[in-house]
Amino acid sequence: MSVTQEGPVIRLEGLCRVEDAEVLAALLQRLPGSAVDLTRCEGLHAAVAQAILALAPPLTGVPADPFLRELLLPALAGERQRLPPRI
Amino acid sequence: MNDELMAQFLVEGRELVAAAARDLAVLARAPSDEAALDGCFRAVHTLKGSTGLFDLAPMGLLLHAAEDVLAAIRAGRPAGPADFAALLAAVDEVDRWLDAIEGDGALPAGAAEAARIAVARLGGAEGVPAQAAPEPQAWRAPPEFAGLAGIAIRYVPRADAYFSGDDPVAIIAAVPALTALRILPREGWGPLESYDPFACNLVIEAVSAAGRPAVQAALRLVADQVQLAELLPAGPGAAATGAAATGPAARRTLRVDAARVDRLAGLVDDLVVAKSALAELAAEAERLAGGHGLGQSLRARQAQLDRLVSDLHATVGQVRLVPLAPLFGRFPRLARDIARALGKSVSVETEGGEVEVDKAVVDALFDPLLHVLRNAVDHGVEAPPERRKAGKAETGTIRLAARPDGDRVVIEVTDDGAGIDPARIRDLAVERGLLRRDAADALGDAAAADLVFTPGFSTAAAVSEVSGRGVGMDVVRAAALALGGRVEVAGTSGRGTMVRFVLPVATLLTKVMIVACGPDRYGLALEGVVETARVTPDRIREVRAGRAFLLRDRPVPLVALGALVGAPEPAPGAQRVVVARAGGELVGLAVDAVLDRMDAVVRPMTGLLAGAPGVMGTTLLADGAVLMILDPTELLP
Repeated sequence: MSVTQEGPVIRLEGLCRVEDAEVLAALLQRLPGSAVDLTRCEGLHAAVAQAILALAPPLTGVPADPFLRELLLPALAGERQRLPPRI
Repeated sequence: MNDELMAQFLVEGRELVAAAARDLAVLARAPSDEAALDGCFRAVHTLKGSTGLFDLAPMGLLLHAAEDVLAAIRAGRPAGPADFAALLAAVDEVDRWLDAIEGDGALPAGAAEAARIAVARLGGAEGVPAQAAPEPQAWRAPPEFAGLAGIAIRYVPRADAYFSGDDPVAIIAAVPALTALRILPREGWGPLESYDPFACNLVIEAVSAAGRPAVQAALRLVADQVQLAELLPAGPGAAATGAAATGPAARRTLRVDAARVDRLAGLVDDLVVAKSALAELAAEAERLAGGHGLGQSLRARQAQLDRLVSDLHATVGQVRLVPLAPLFGRFPRLARDIARALGKSVSVETEGGEVEVDKAVVDALFDPLLHVLRNAVDHGVEAPPERRKAGKAETGTIRLAARPDGDRVVIEVTDDGAGIDPARIRDLAVERGLLRRDAADALGDAAAADLVFTPGFSTAAAVSEVSGRGVGMDVVRAAALALGGRVEVAGTSGRGTMVRFVLPVATLLTKVMIVACGPDRYGLALEGVVETARVTPDRIREVRAGRAFLLRDRPVPLVALGALVGAPEPAPGAQRVVVARAGGELVGLAVDAVLDRMDAVVRPMTGLLAGAPGVMGTTLLADGAVLMILDPTELLP
C-alpha cells in the first residue's frame, strides 16, 4: 500500500497495488542502487513485481507471506529454481 | 470437458453478461461515464478470457471484437448510441448462447454466422479476427522444471493486462499447490529511462502439484493466455508434495453444491421435530412417582436444546440465502428480446439485487417473474406511436425492484405502460363466463384488477405470439402461494401497472393444528383457522344440498373434513368443528377430534403428488409418522 524511501532503502509495505509500480519505478530510476526492503510487504501486484524485475534493485528482508517468500521473491531475485522446503 | 468448470463458467458468465449489460445501459444515457466503461470492459475482457477453456470459438471471437471496440473507446475514440447498441446486441447474443449452452451443452448451429454478423455490426469488419485464436501449438516445459511433477504452466498476460484490471501475479498465486515459479520478461526491457510501468511485459511459468482440473479452474479467466503441459516425475522421490503451505488462503467464499445445503437443511428440519419429542418425555418423567426432579432437569436441557436448534435452523437458513441479482440480471435481455418480437422497445431497470432470499424462493421465481414481465411488455407497454401520442418516451421502462420487509421480501414489477382498465377487465371476465354482469359491475376497481389472476382469464386474453402459451396469471398466483407468499396487482389507467409479490425470505416454521378424521390424522395450517367449536345437533341446519350451523347467530357452512379427504364422516351427534377462513368466508370443518398444535416445517409435495389440490405439503411428527398438511381453501369445491 505504501512505498517509502529512506536514504538508500525503499520500503514496500502492505499490499502493493498497480499504482505503486509507477512510484517505485520513478524512485529506482532517480536513485539507482537503492535496495528494496520487503520485510513488511504482504503482496505485490504484477506491475510492481515487473518493475523490480526490470530495474533489478538488490532485495532485502524476508516477508511473512509464504507465496512471496518461497516463490515470488526467489523468482524475482533470479535465483535458481529451488524445490520448496520439505515438511 | 470438465462439467464442473462448465457449470462455473455458466454462473460467472451470466454475472458478467449482466454486469456488462448494466454498464452499457448507463453508457447509453451517459456516454462519458468512465466507471461504467471500465466496468463493461472488465466484464467483457474476463468473459472472453474464460471462453478459451471450452470449444466456444464464435463466442470468443465476438467478445474479442467487443473488447476491441471498448478498448478503443477507453483510449478516446468518440462513441455514440449506435456503438453502445451494437455492443449491447453482442452481449445479448452471448447471453442467448449461454442459454443454449445450459440447455444443450453447445452453441446453437448458426453461432459462427451470428458471430460474424455481430462482429461486422461492431465495426470490427476490418478483418482482424485471426488474432483471436490463441496459437494452439504445444509448449514444452523449460529445463528448469526438470525433476518436478505436476502441471507446468506458461502464462503470457496481454500487454494491456494492467489496464484491464488483471493482476497476473495474483492470478498465478491463486493456483493451488504451486511448487515452482519463474518470471521472465516477454520482450527485452529496452532503455530503462523509457520504462513503461503500466505495460505488462511478463511471461510467468510455474508448476503446480494439483491436478489439471484444479489448475484449469484457477486460471479459467485467462485461459486464452495460458498453456499447460504435463510434467512426468523423474524419479520416485521427485514428486514434491510439501507445497500445500505455499497456497495463499485467498478465497473467502465457497461455492457449495446446493443439494448438500438442502440435505443439511433437511437434517436440521428433522432435528426440530426430534427435539419436540423431548418436551413430552419431560412431562412424562414428571408424572412418574419421584420423577419430578428428573423431569425438571430434562425440561431445562430441552429448553437449552431448543435454543440451539432454533439457532442452527436460522444459521442454515442464512447459508441458503442468495442475492436476487443473478436472477434479476437475466431479465433485461429477455425483455428486450420479447419487445423486439412485438415491435416495441423497453428497458429494464433493476434495483435491490443485493437483497438476499432463500435459494428455493429464487429458483421458483424465474418463471413467475418472466411471465409478469412478458405481460408488462405485451399488454402494458404501448407501441411506439401510441406512446408518442401519450407524450411518453418511445422506450418503455420496466422496473424490477426488491426490498426487504421484515422476514418477507417485496418484489415489484412496474411498467410505465397503459395500465389496467378495470372496466375492460370486467367486460372480459363477463365475456369469458367467469362472472355474471351484475357481479362484475359490483366489483371495485382493485377487485376487478385482481380478476387477472383468475384461472381462465389470461389464458385466452393473450393470443399474441409472445404471451399466448396457455399459461395465465393464475399460475403466477399459484407459484406465489406455493412459496408462502402472495401477489397482487396495482394499476392506474394510463400510467402503468405494478405487480407486487410479497414472499417469505426463507422457509418458515408453520403453525399447524392436528386433527383426527376417523383413523387418520391431518394437519391444518393454523393461519387459516379462526377458532374451534363444539356444535350440538340442534344448531345444525340443512341448507339446500349441504349443512350449516349457527355461530354467534351467523350461519356458517359445515363440511365434514372426512368427506373432503375420503375418510369416514364423524358419527352424528355433537360435532367438533374447526372454523376456518376460506377465500374470505368462514367455513366449519367437522372433525372427530382436535389433537394438538405444533410448529412444523412444511415441505411442499413433490413428484406425482405435487399438484394434488388442497395438500400444502407434509411434515414429520415426533413419532416419525408423516402428517399431511391440508389447505382448507383449496379443498372446498
